[in-house]
Amino acid sequence: MGSRQITEKSLAMLRSLPRISLANLRDNPGSRKNNKRGRGQYGGDKHGAGNKGSNQRQNYMRLGYETGNNPFYLRMPHESYYKGHHHRREYPPISLLQLQKLIDTDRVDIDKPIDIASIVKSGLYHFFPDQKHFGVNLTDEGADIFAAKINIEVQWASEQVIAAIEKNGGVITTAYYDPHSLLLLKNPKKFFETGQAIPRRMIPPPDAIEYYTSAEMRGYLADPEKISEDRLRLAQKYGYELPVLENDSNYSMLCERKDPRQIFYGLEPGWVVNLKDKCILKPKDEELLRFYAS
Amino acid sequence: MATVWRSQYAFARFFVGKTVRILNNASDLGARLKPESISIPLSRKYSNYAASPFVSKIQEQYEFEIVKNPPEWGYVERFLPLETVPQIKPKESYPSGWIAPKEEAKNLPYYIARNKNHQIPIYLEIGYRGQRKITKIKRIEGDIWLMNDLIKKYLKNKCNRYVETRVHEMGKFIDVKGDYVNILIDWAHAQGF
Amino acid sequence: MSSALINAIKRLNISVLPQIRFCSSTANQSSAINVINNEFSVTKKEWKFPPSYTKPREVWIENLDTIEEKKVGLFELHPLVYAAAPRIDIIHKNVTWQKKYRWVSWAHTKTRAEVRGGGKKPWPQKGLGRARHGSIRSPLWRGGGVAHGPRSGKTHFYMLDIYSRLHGLTSTLSAKFAQDDLHVVRDLELPTDESEYLIELIEKRNWGPSVLLVDDTDYAPRNITVATDSLQYVNIMPVYGLNVYSMLKHDTLILTQAAAEKIEERILHHLNSTKVVSKFKLSQV
Repeated sequence: MGSRQITEKSLAMLRSLPRISLANLRDNPGSRKNNKRGRGQYGGDKHGAGNKGSNQRQNYMRLGYETGNNPFYLRMPHESYYKGHHHRREYPPISLLQLQKLIDTDRVDIDKPIDIASIVKSGLYHFFPDQKHFGVNLTDEGADIFAAKINIEVQWASEQVIAAIEKNGGVITTAYYDPHSLLLLKNPKKFFETGQAIPRRMIPPPDAIEYYTSAEMRGYLADPEKISEDRLRLAQKYGYELPVLENDSNYSMLCERKDPRQIFYGLEPGWVVNLKDKCILKPKDEELLRFYAS
Repeated sequence: MATVWRSQYAFARFFVGKTVRILNNASDLGARLKPESISIPLSRKYSNYAASPFVSKIQEQYEFEIVKNPPEWGYVERFLPLETVPQIKPKESYPSGWIAPKEEAKNLPYYIARNKNHQIPIYLEIGYRGQRKITKIKRIEGDIWLMNDLIKKYLKNKCNRYVETRVHEMGKFIDVKGDYVNILIDWAHAQGF
Repeated sequence: MSSALINAIKRLNISVLPQIRFCSSTANQSSAINVINNEFSVTKKEWKFPPSYTKPREVWIENLDTIEEKKVGLFELHPLVYAAAPRIDIIHKNVTWQKKYRWVSWAHTKTRAEVRGGGKKPWPQKGLGRARHGSIRSPLWRGGGVAHGPRSGKTHFYMLDIYSRLHGLTSTLSAKFAQDDLHVVRDLELPTDESEYLIELIEKRNWGPSVLLVDDTDYAPRNITVATDSLQYVNIMPVYGLNVYSMLKHDTLILTQAAAEKIEERILHHLNSTKVVSKFKLSQV
């Protein structure tokens, strides 16, 4: 039977067969089943609905009702430990292994600072700000194989993750974004097309301020002096030599940090980006400038 | 609590001199409203229509400048999404374990094409609440029957058991009964796919 | 039964190896075939998505200027678009989808409530010895309403998933190419605007009676537009109108070089897009 190559065989078969036209098309055998008409003994009479009762009369009681006794869905009382669980902030995770995969397959550019917008741009990470997702949680799966020097900004990271990134000569910061800013970062193109001015990023809520001002978690509001002290502490704890960032060729890129009121890298609040005409509208009015700088 | 204080301050002016009986909300219950007990801060309060000042100096248009071809456009282009999956530039090492496909593999009689994300298309299908595991090798080109024989022989040697497979020539995939995903991915890497 | 099938397939004279050798050898040598005469051009492509296993296909670029065909160049086609596995079942699904999704069934019957009359109970429940009835227009009665009949304005809209539609296009293009029904033409410039010229051309070149001409833009030169205007079996179409049904309805498919490139570029773009494919939702709210 000639060659056994799939595509080549079928295309070669077509050369000897009649022309494919609307008249000789067919679906795969067995893919279509004709609907049985319920007539007489063949699916007819009671049409599969049984005898009497709510099954035949289709007047069921409400779902979960157990004919009077306390139903299962009402038997469990409230437990105090999960009070307010639906109000808590969620940080959908992405592991260091996944991040390394994105870097290896060129989905994320490590020559520029990485923030949540770049991770979402790769198309392989999704989060939904309207479902109380407050950003990226970098997990430590793959901390031992991680080998990329990056300047990354996430919303939640643990100590092992911070150590893994700094071991490779990178920089990690944890920053807070309010839900509106996250919606903008999720789809910047859609936001620019609305023609609105870039708003300011809001400060963290009271229960998050402690996290984002702590040097251990590399918070964006923390004291830089304390951060460098903590870098040394982590190097000693996890046993690696702390790379000197100043000697690095990419030092300026690694130092790039966003202002606490800035949402996008390089774009200030108050600006209107016009994608179609390739221009940016910047406010000149003093009142506006004062407002956006506050 | 914040709402309570704000309402107390907002309506403080009206409560001076009034008796306790006039209470606007339940939180004022128990508050003894005497002139001295209420301290009115000096800043303007806008929560009360009667007491708030008139709005003046509304600007319809704010001054702005249009910067054509701005220097920050590079930053803007960074956010615009990629239309198609980029080709991977060769690097010295891939720490995540990604192995690039080899050119020699194209000379083999069978072939496994990479998917659009440049990954090997070998997946695990789990059904019946975890009781059924099928390893699916998709996107097979070339002689699928030969590949099937080779895979069966390889798995027989590796796992010391007979492995059932299902060849779908038209669908260009092979289903292997069991969870042999990592073993088959290593086999595929060894072949160069 | 199965042996008869095997015999039938054996009689098909499948000779794949020579074809592969032809394709692969010309693919290597096409850069060597430089210029035979001034008009001959060979386009060696820079692939954005390089073909991996299946060899690229090569096709002659023909002309429409003269009735005799002249080959003015050699053109490479991407195998994932023009040499994909021809899935007849996917082609069938596409054709049925194209037929059905636009169809609105206007058949309509009246229910027992809509048929005129039948509000009164025809005779008392008991005492007469007759069957009990509540209305003369119930479905049991002659002249009564229809119980589960067709209701006017029934739509049969559904969307076939994006990859089924893409593979339908690639299968049809590959099938047309494999069965020698696909020709690539440099452009659609005709010397005259007479339709007899086209009829003679199609006859001479042994193209099928019906021809579909695909151009990359939706405006075409005047001559071809006038010539095809009176011919009901020769049609021009822009690339965005390309569909499986039209390709199968017309026996021969003629693509301009620009159209062939554009089709390839668009299909490969969709096959490699970063967009997450979700189920088509009619309600965008």
